Amino acid sequence: MSHKIEFILNGKSVCINTNANRRLLDILREEFQLTGTKEGCSIGECGACTVLMNNKAVNSCLVLAGQVNGSEILTIEGVAKNGLHKLQENFLMAGAIQCGFCTPGVIMSSYALLLENSNPTEEEIKEAIAGNLCRCTGYKQIIKAIKDTIS
Amino acid sequence: MIPDLEYIRAIDLNDTLKILDVKNGKVKVLAGGTDIITGLQQGFSRFAKIYKLLDIAQLNELKSISINEDSFEIGAGLTFSEIIANNNIATAYPLLVKAASTIGSVQIRNRATIGGNIINNAPCADSLSPLLVYDASVRIQSNKGAKEVLLKDFLSEAYRTNLEQNEIVTHIILPKILKTYIGDFYKLGRRRGVAISRLSLTVLIKCEKQIIEDLRIAGGAVTPVAMRFTNIEEMGIGKKVSNKLLISLSQEIGRKVLKVTGLRWSSAYKLPVVQQSLYQLLVNVCKKLNGTNVA
Ligand code: FES
Ligand code: FES
Repeated sequence: MSHKIEFILNGKSVCINTNANRRLLDILREEFQLTGTKEGCSIGECGACTVLMNNKAVNSCLVLAGQVNGSEILTIEGVAKNGLHKLQENFLMAGAIQCGFCTPGVIMSSYALLLENSNPTEEEIKEAIAGNLCRCTGYKQIIKAIKDTIS
Repeated sequence: MIPDLEYIRAIDLNDTLKILDVKNGKVKVLAGGTDIITGLQQGFSRFAKIYKLLDIAQLNELKSISINEDSFEIGAGLTFSEIIANNNIATAYPLLVKAASTIGSVQIRNRATIGGNIINNAPCADSLSPLLVYDASVRIQSNKGAKEVLLKDFLSEAYRTNLEQNEIVTHIILPKILKTYIGDFYKLGRRRGVAISRLSLTVLIKCEKQIIEDLRIAGGAVTPVAMRFTNIEEMGIGKKVSNKLLISLSQEIGRKVLKVTGLRWSSAYKLPVVQQSLYQLLVNVCKKLNGTNVA
């Protein structure tokens, strides 16, 4: 069944018609070609699909199209709107990226953390990115990159 | 892939109840979706006959928290993040908040609701053992009115509750707990973070001059449905705290779990772990009790 959904995407109002069984992840990648948001596990375990929904980190593979209606969505493309964000620069500097598949999700989780808490402890950083799996870099560099962004 | 379905967004609680009445049995209520959407995606059989979803996630009526003279009422639509962030809940029911903060990841806790955790009634649902220890009830509403049912009577079998098709759970009611109660929550997963429980235990004790006046023990993931271990509680109540007593209570939990689940391939591993976990938990809680020393 087709639905009309309206929401704010990276600061702009958008409106599309879509089937109810599509997920926010599908809409971002297929309707808006925002392919920075990745699909890993599709069941809420890897965090590669993390975006911000009303300023909170969520797995976009677990949000149905209809649930997006009226919300505000921020993706990695929105974070990098005016050139690389400080978090992204620090990820590059700290060597926190290898294949890069997990990176947009980790950045979105870190971004959400910093929105809520501008000076998180190492424990708080670990908790914020616990739902993001990285299979190459290792978390040390990732945590360093986030810490460098705070100071 | 998620099968084709119809999505309906409820306007308010009244609207929800009306739709549930009209579409009796054919519509599944959706809140955070962390169980339903993953279940649909993986084609789990218990979600096989879902064609219509009724979204109640945005209903403010299900997000209220009220503090009454003798109880707290927590909206079933509150996410675990919202529960963790609420200072009143954290002060009054610290074990619920401790359990809530071990559920999934930040992303999951930002969507998953406490009502959903109860309705889904997974054996490993982490909020259930603290809720049981706090003697929680659920408020159930339908077009015909509202009623309150004790959580322990509401959870029927794994992944099932006694909720009728035209009803929804609107609130969780927690009786006030005296400050003299001390307790703890323990969860064992396959790894430290973002893990599904293999075992969870909640203990709450009230002690006066080393004598146990009240003892409450509940477990999750060790039995098909989260439950209170009332016979072990009774064994402890009225007794003086001693290492011997804690050992015998912990041994008993192994026997009880074996009775409920039958002998399984995992029993040889699980039973000693359950026993040891309960023992450690009891020792830790007793240490926190003023002037009580476990020799
Ligand atoms: S793709 Fe969404 S959490 Fe893995
Ligand atoms: S950089 Fe490859 S998964 Fe993280």
